[in-house]
Amino acid sequence: MKLNIEGLLVYFPYDYIYPEQYSYMLELKRTLDAKGHGVLEMPSGTGKTISLLSLILAYQKAYPLEITKLIYCSRTVPEIEKVVEELRKLIEFHCKETGEANNFLALALSSRKNLCIHPEILHANIVVYSYHYLLDPKIADLVSKELTKKAVVVFDEAHNIDNVCIDSMSVNITRRTLDRCTSNVETLQTTIQRIKETDAAKLKEEYRRLVEGLKEANVARVTDVYLGNPVLPAEVLQEAVPGSIRTAEHFVGFLKRFLEYLKSRLRVHHVVQESAPQFLKDIFQKVCIDRKPLRFCAERLRSLLRTLEISDLTDFSAITLISNFATLVSTYSQGFTIIIEPFEDRTPSIANPVLHFSCMDPSIAIKPVFERFQSVIITSGTLSPLDIYPKILDFRPVTVASFTMTLARTCLCPLIVGRGNDQVALSSKFETREDFAVIRNYGNLLLEMSGVVPDGIVAFFTSYMYMENIVASWYEQGILENIQRNKLIFIETPDAAETSMALEKYQEACENGRGAILLSVARGKVSEGIDFVHHFGRAVIMFGVPYVYTQSRILKARLEYLRDQFQIRENDFLTFDAMRHAAQCVGRVIRGKTDYGLMIFADKRYARADKRGKLPRWIQEHISDGSLNLTVDETVQMSKHFLRQMAQPFRQEDQLGLSLLTIEQLESEEMLKKISQMAHQA
Amino acid sequence: MAVYVKDLIRISHNWVDTHTCDVTTRGWILRLLINITASVVYPPLDDSCPSTTMASLSEEVLLVLKKVRQRKQDGTLYLMAERIAWGPEGKDRFTVSHLYSDIRCQKISPDGKAKIQLQLVLHTGESSTFHFSNDSSALTDREAAKDLLQQLLPKFKKKANKELEEKNRMLQEDPVLFQLYKDLVVSQVISAEEFWANRMSTTNTENTLSDKKQDVGISAAFLADIRPQTDGCNGLRYNLTPDIIESIFRTYPAVQQKYGENVPHNLTEKEFWTRFFQSHYFHRDRISTGALDIFSECAKQDEKGNVTHLELYRYIRSGVLNVLTAEGLPKEKKIGGKPASTSNPNRTGKENSNSAIIKRFNHHSAMILAAGSRRGDAPNDQASETSSTDGNSRDSDLFQPPIKKVWWSIDYLDLQREDGPKTVALNLKKSDRYAHGPVPLESQKYTTSQDIINSITCIRHEMANYVPNLAQVLTSSAVSSAIAALSPGGVLMQTGTQQAINQMVPSEVQGELKHLYIAAGELLRHFWTCFPVNSPFLEEKVVKMRSNLERFQMTKLRPFQEKVQRQYLSANITGHLEEMLQTAYNKLHAWQTRRMMRKI
Repeated sequence: MKLNIEGLLVYFPYDYIYPEQYSYMLELKRTLDAKGHGVLEMPSGTGKTISLLSLILAYQKAYPLEITKLIYCSRTVPEIEKVVEELRKLIEFHCKETGEANNFLALALSSRKNLCIHPEILHANIVVYSYHYLLDPKIADLVSKELTKKAVVVFDEAHNIDNVCIDSMSVNITRRTLDRCTSNVETLQTTIQRIKETDAAKLKEEYRRLVEGLKEANVARVTDVYLGNPVLPAEVLQEAVPGSIRTAEHFVGFLKRFLEYLKSRLRVHHVVQESAPQFLKDIFQKVCIDRKPLRFCAERLRSLLRTLEISDLTDFSAITLISNFATLVSTYSQGFTIIIEPFEDRTPSIANPVLHFSCMDPSIAIKPVFERFQSVIITSGTLSPLDIYPKILDFRPVTVASFTMTLARTCLCPLIVGRGNDQVALSSKFETREDFAVIRNYGNLLLEMSGVVPDGIVAFFTSYMYMENIVASWYEQGILENIQRNKLIFIETPDAAETSMALEKYQEACENGRGAILLSVARGKVSEGIDFVHHFGRAVIMFGVPYVYTQSRILKARLEYLRDQFQIRENDFLTFDAMRHAAQCVGRVIRGKTDYGLMIFADKRYARADKRGKLPRWIQEHISDGSLNLTVDETVQMSKHFLRQMAQPFRQEDQLGLSLLTIEQLESEEMLKKISQMAHQA
Repeated sequence: MAVYVKDLIRISHNWVDTHTCDVTTRGWILRLLINITASVVYPPLDDSCPSTTMASLSEEVLLVLKKVRQRKQDGTLYLMAERIAWGPEGKDRFTVSHLYSDIRCQKISPDGKAKIQLQLVLHTGESSTFHFSNDSSALTDREAAKDLLQQLLPKFKKKANKELEEKNRMLQEDPVLFQLYKDLVVSQVISAEEFWANRMSTTNTENTLSDKKQDVGISAAFLADIRPQTDGCNGLRYNLTPDIIESIFRTYPAVQQKYGENVPHNLTEKEFWTRFFQSHYFHRDRISTGALDIFSECAKQDEKGNVTHLELYRYIRSGVLNVLTAEGLPKEKKIGGKPASTSNPNRTGKENSNSAIIKRFNHHSAMILAAGSRRGDAPNDQASETSSTDGNSRDSDLFQPPIKKVWWSIDYLDLQREDGPKTVALNLKKSDRYAHGPVPLESQKYTTSQDIINSITCIRHEMANYVPNLAQVLTSSAVSSAIAALSPGGVLMQTGTQQAINQMVPSEVQGELKHLYIAAGELLRHFWTCFPVNSPFLEEKVVKMRSNLERFQMTKLRPFQEKVQRQYLSANITGHLEEMLQTAYNKLHAWQTRRMMRKI
């Protein structure tokens, strides 16, 4: 159908449209008009991706000078494939409707196999790739550096974007890394020696360039040709490389000294935590390394590797990592912390020292993106509470909106199970984690549900360890045997291939009518990126609140940082993080309006307002007061009732006019009014 | 772990089925009971009753056991090729004789009981008990009889019962046939064999169809169903039924292979199952494996199958695109730095066993799933079964592109216009009436909806094309006489119509008449199928059918006619039946005279 979005002609490759899709496009267009950033939450299964693509494509057609490129970032390979598939459909429709040949160049970078050839990316109208190509400084520099400023960047499934940012900036250094660095340095040294003998002019030329300073890069940045690189701070560009590391030999010597220093730091017997300035002070005192040469380390290494004409950079990943670390630690006095742990917490007897150089501020990595690109859209099915993302990513959005799912029938049924039939409070909190009564009641819940729910059930646990313990104890108590009477059981394992296979078998069992249960882990591979549409998931059970492992020092440091810098309380952030993962898990089950599913939150803590309030609006609004603290039996009764209702035939006509619109219905005065109200609620 | 296997003699007052054995292992008793139970009880449908006379000499006697008491009478037990019989001492006739096909199961008295007995339970529910009273060899006698029966019974059960079951099923499913059976066979108009003669042949094709009916999958909890029962003195008792054994074999072909290799040459059946239950293969969480464990190999084999499969899987997935591991993308880590699932070399034993359980569950479920689909592919193909022992039989579907999965999640079906012909939705005003179904008030002639539609269109068509021809109308007197003749009671309305019969004859007689019609129809069908008579067999049959028809007329039709005449003098409701019979006789007569002519 052809839509009129505030004067913009949008080709939408379907015959019908959901009201919230229209509303979403409206908000998106306003964001693009304002050339600002946006945060948009819309439930999964309401066609977010196609709405985004349709509108931006139309915008690009209508105003080719305003927006020249769409950069679409998604997280996993299947998601990227999904986007590409939708895009293909859209472009086909576009060509058919307009009668024009396709003059769009779309490009997807998903895996090494499909890695693109560099120049092409500059001409593509649409680029679909992973977050890392934009956020990870190592990759971004290779792939995305030259992308035009007049581009729209979309981060889809962005509920975890802060973690991606942090990970892309964090560096972990182990003994093994240092050993590989040492060998890298040796290779460098011999190569330099060889070149010096054969082609000394080359090194001289490099030296000359370094004296001149990194002018090229500076010019480029000033004239806005390149995407900023957080590892290449602006100060570096304006200055010349300090004399102490200008010649190749000196630089190698400098690296050696730095490596020796790091090795000595790893020889600790207790945990050390320090800030970047403390680290710099220490390194100056111990080995007389100044801040300035450290700051140039990454750029100097890059220049050297170029000069030496080393083609295979992967061999030098270790030394590149270390030089990036050197630059980062000397550039940012805030937002990072250094933690040196002599051993892992679980295995105190085995020495395995690690230096975590951990980023605590996600805004550092994403800052260049916000600064460079005209519009950045952050969107996902679960972004609640919406105000936290602009805060932690440090940007000012022009649009913040959350859309709910208009439904002709209530196809999702969130239930909070707080008690067992014996009134034992159900919770995964630390104190009752080993409590047999709780484990038994959890088992009972799964058993009862397995007898009521057709086809597939997905159950999530808070962690892998917790799941292992519960499964073992269910096995001993004979609960699993009884569950097997109703459904087959498949369990996620740490092994990705094994899990893929279990998943495939699970799908097979759902498909052939046998029915199955998949036990998996929140924050695991299954919990994000795998959809359980229709009969592949009729119920999802969340056992406990998926809090992150709070004893980690890195997390503690981050929480402190959040408190000091952003005035976000520890508990608020932890709850926010737990609830976004819970929402992700339960959201797996509803993938559209014709789909239906039960969402069972098996922990009494979900009933509290501070937890419940952090769920996305489209889930929250279906939690009634009557379903806040149910027993297992009550849950089973309500589930039965719900499933029986859902089993009734559901036709397109039932949806039409309510949650599904024809073009005529959409253009009616009344509906437009309704839709505009819907958007303002946010 | 040393395993002590020692027989334990247990005293029980109950009858125990024949496959009983007791084994002690370190004080644990595993008693394996293999119950052979028949699922259906078949009433004898054939008129062939077991004869109680002495067997003819040609009958092969497989085993003779003397000093066997029955009803406190000494005698001799004979096991013959097709039946078991017992005759009292000094008499040359059998007072007890059972065809093997009539025997449902045999039971023996528990070991250690003073009386050594064998009981035969028949399908009819009756039973005969034999007491082996030979002082020196009672137990061996009983064992010999038991073992032989054990071999013989299943053979007969399968053969005899299959046919009976089929007949029984047909009769149960088809009330008309059942009535016919009653009318013709039970009243001895024709014999059962004649009755079934051309029925079974027509059902043979159906038979093969019904053989192919959907296979029943295996319950995932079948191992859980083998509930060990504790019985007082530290014993564990497993009840194994043939179903469970089949489930085990189907799910774990490796075990079946082991069974084939070891039973009965190396191990007896009971030893095999005892070891199975002791083995780590059964106990998923047990890590230690004894040297005696023949199943460790199975587990290894499974493990190997799994591993190679996983390798293959990894290989393929890395070639295509992995669903889970984003190949080529840096792995995302959890916040807090510690990935929850690092494989740690120094995990504790408990953790190891926990992960073993998880692996086992995945494996078990996959096996069950594979067993279901394996059945469908090749029911008896040993080769295919062994080749797919790893439970992941269909490698080919790994090669399917992952696009299919993507398709599911991107297509918003409700956003698209529905294609295809519009169907009319069933709108039930009173759904309870739909649920209970129509209640027939009384049986009446049934007009199909197609008939009604046809006739309506027909009438409509005629009405549309009706052109009154005013030049050729009847005179008023002719019209009035015609109307009078066609009115009830008029000249043309006197012959009995169906409605007249309905009104004249009570429903009981109607029913009887209906049965007569069906029976006569059946007989006539037999009769007419003989034509053209082109074989001696058919000649014989046609003559026999004639006598059958005559017998039918005499024993069934005549009494009915008399009865009707006694009650309703005027009605001649059997006229048509007689006509049909007469036509048959005429036909036969014509055929016979023609044959005579030809012979002359």
